[in-house]
Amino acid sequence: MKKLKSWPVWMLMGVIVVALLAVGATKDSGPRTQGDRIDAISKRLACPTCDGESVYVSRASAAEAIRTQVARDVASGKLTDNQIIAGIARTFNAQVLLVPRATGLDSLVWVLPIAALVCSVVGLAMAFRRWKRQNLGDASAQDIALVERLLAQDPTDDENV
Amino acid sequence: MFSAEGLAGPLGRGALLVGLIGAFFGMFAAISGTRNNDPKVMRLVPRFAVLMCVATVGAFTAMEWAMITRDFSLAYVQKVGSWSTPAIYNFTAVWSALEGSILLWVLVLTGLTVGIAVKYKTRLSDPMVGWALATMFFVSVFFFVLTLGPANPFAAGAPGVLDGPGPNPLLQNHILVMFHPPILYMGYVGMTVPFAFAIGALITGRVGEGWLVETRRWALFSWGLLTLGIILGSWWSYEVLGWSGVWAWDPVENASFIPWLTATAYIHSVLVQERRGMLRVWNLSLLVATFSLTILGTFLTRSGVLNSVHAFSDSDIGPFLLGFFALIVVVSVGLIGWRGDKLRAPGTIDSPVSREGAFLANNVIFSVFAFVVLLGTVFPLIVEALQNRQLVVGEPFFDQLAVPVGITLLFLMSIAPVLPWRKASGELLSQRLFWPAWGGIGALVLSLALGATGIEPLLTFMLGGFSGGAALRQLVLATRRQGWRGLVGRANGGMVVHLGVILIAVALAASNSFTHSQELNLKQGVPVSFGGHTFELVNFSEVVDARRTSISANVRIDGGQAYAPAVTKFKSMGQNIGTPSVRTSFIKDIYLTLEPPVKATSKSAKIKVFIKPMIMWLWIGGGLMGVGTLLAAFPGRRRRPTDPVSAPVPTEELV
Repeated sequence: MKKLKSWPVWMLMGVIVVALLAVGATKDSGPRTQGDRIDAISKRLACPTCDGESVYVSRASAAEAIRTQVARDVASGKLTDNQIIAGIARTFNAQVLLVPRATGLDSLVWVLPIAALVCSVVGLAMAFRRWKRQNLGDASAQDIALVERLLAQDPTDDENV
Repeated sequence: MFSAEGLAGPLGRGALLVGLIGAFFGMFAAISGTRNNDPKVMRLVPRFAVLMCVATVGAFTAMEWAMITRDFSLAYVQKVGSWSTPAIYNFTAVWSALEGSILLWVLVLTGLTVGIAVKYKTRLSDPMVGWALATMFFVSVFFFVLTLGPANPFAAGAPGVLDGPGPNPLLQNHILVMFHPPILYMGYVGMTVPFAFAIGALITGRVGEGWLVETRRWALFSWGLLTLGIILGSWWSYEVLGWSGVWAWDPVENASFIPWLTATAYIHSVLVQERRGMLRVWNLSLLVATFSLTILGTFLTRSGVLNSVHAFSDSDIGPFLLGFFALIVVVSVGLIGWRGDKLRAPGTIDSPVSREGAFLANNVIFSVFAFVVLLGTVFPLIVEALQNRQLVVGEPFFDQLAVPVGITLLFLMSIAPVLPWRKASGELLSQRLFWPAWGGIGALVLSLALGATGIEPLLTFMLGGFSGGAALRQLVLATRRQGWRGLVGRANGGMVVHLGVILIAVALAASNSFTHSQELNLKQGVPVSFGGHTFELVNFSEVVDARRTSISANVRIDGGQAYAPAVTKFKSMGQNIGTPSVRTSFIKDIYLTLEPPVKATSKSAKIKVFIKPMIMWLWIGGGLMGVGTLLAAFPGRRRRPTDPVSAPVPTEELV
């Protein structure tokens, strides 16, 4: 059993996972229905009268009108998703995108989460460095023997609770 | 003859005033009794708690009475009451707008205060309990002030009003409105209890591990109820709103989700403090953050600065809530700074590859995610304030950031349950992770065999199998050793919660990635195929009553049972509300909505069909999380002080 759990087997598992993910990621997901495409575009558009809801979610009449327009554009089969969105922006003369731009003040909404993550990870790394310096060192042979003796006394002890 | 009409207002106002007086005197009694170590005064504290709770029950009953009798002398009944609202939705109309919601908040809060006063009645002389009760009373005073001031449910209405519009149509369309808001409030308001004990610990300087023991179950139950409330909200959204989704990153949803994230971080990191005596400042900060975020969330969604599908009314409570939020943050940070010397942890964390290392990584992810959701929610306000322009931050933004967070958390859930405290060797990890890892590979193979594609869903399914394997391994080992007791206690109950989370993650990945939809133009008696199913319009049915006109299209699926998506027009509001109809199974849901234009006399209907895989598992996962929380609250097997994996936990520092 120990051999079964050795590093070559883990390597093999890693290779299997990478291969399977590669197959799955590149596999054709089948045809999208017109409805799927309308939904995907509607999810990217903001309902102009609903304060934060997407056209996909909202049941307001303005959202209804935009959905109808998107359905018409999709049915025509001539426009890409981005062209349809640009057309909606022109027709409805509104702030239509639900995703902020990556420029100017709007970019902060993208930058700050990354900055928060980086700061947290660096802070954690520094804390671990400090803890390592403070560490009293590894257990002595005497400590290990004591632990083993106590463990042997209580075979029902939880593994890691 | 005696008439009760018009009495609810004065009775309700009077009851709230008594409640405020009870809270005020309770706070002073708790502070004075604790400071002077006066048991006589402290014995009064539970009585004041009971007084304010009974007064609130009285006020709530008066409000229900006013709603049931349609007492239109009250402005609130004029706003949400109606003669045509059915009894059940008339009952729930009490919490269908701001003033009633705050009343419900006070009801839960005063009930919790009584709960603490009763539970600790033999320990009232303990200063930490005294200060915790004083904090509960202080928060109660604030909310009583709201109910008597800017959010007064008993304010007199305009004269001569004989009927009202009733609650928002979305709130009289599904039975879940009876359960979702109260349960969510119990979780939301329940976060006040651990906060109160944290303040008690800071004031008394007993910032060791004693106060954690007192609050562990309160925090766990509040977290469980908040979880259940959020899941029920998702279910309500799915069953009522007609867009086939469960979560829209709406500001009110976010307002409940952000404290849930910090509370989730807390219930993990608190284990490190209990076990190793570390992370004291961090845990206190998480509790303060959780409670203050409930207030901030209420401010954001109830003051009118942000609007959402849930924001059923605007009001003047914004400055009160913002001021209270600022006060909490300033006082808490001040207390943490004041007790800085006592909060310094004596121990160290030996290795990142350890149980405590995994908890820290978990906390980083939950905290950063809470920050991201808060930022996305308030960012439109920032842009408007700085550049005076409108900006919308919606679902695609949150989804883009939530997917990597979810995948990372699933990875952590795969590794963390097998990690020992202190340090893990490569050999030990190899031993313990071996079969869970094969579980992940098995899940990946199964997903591919079933036709799944795309890197994100496949990673989710694989990590779902991996983390599920790790959780099951822990449960199997524990039950093998301890029988049924291997299912209870924090670690084992926690694994059941993990299994629920995994089911939810897998169900969300499957339904978000593999839903197919199509609008079908159905003609009566002519079946149309889509997604391997046939849909046939049987007929229309129409229901007209004093409240609404509802038209349903009866659609037969696969030649079997007919389902009836409907559109309802509420006369008082003139608003069309779609009601979906869903054929549910363990494998997939078939979700039908009736699209406009709708005519009962027509021979055809426009039906939108969504075929959504695995949705049922989302609700099962939510239920499992609830069961797991209950199991985690049961006392597990006590750890002996000689357990070798434990560092000596310092004794409580007494003032």
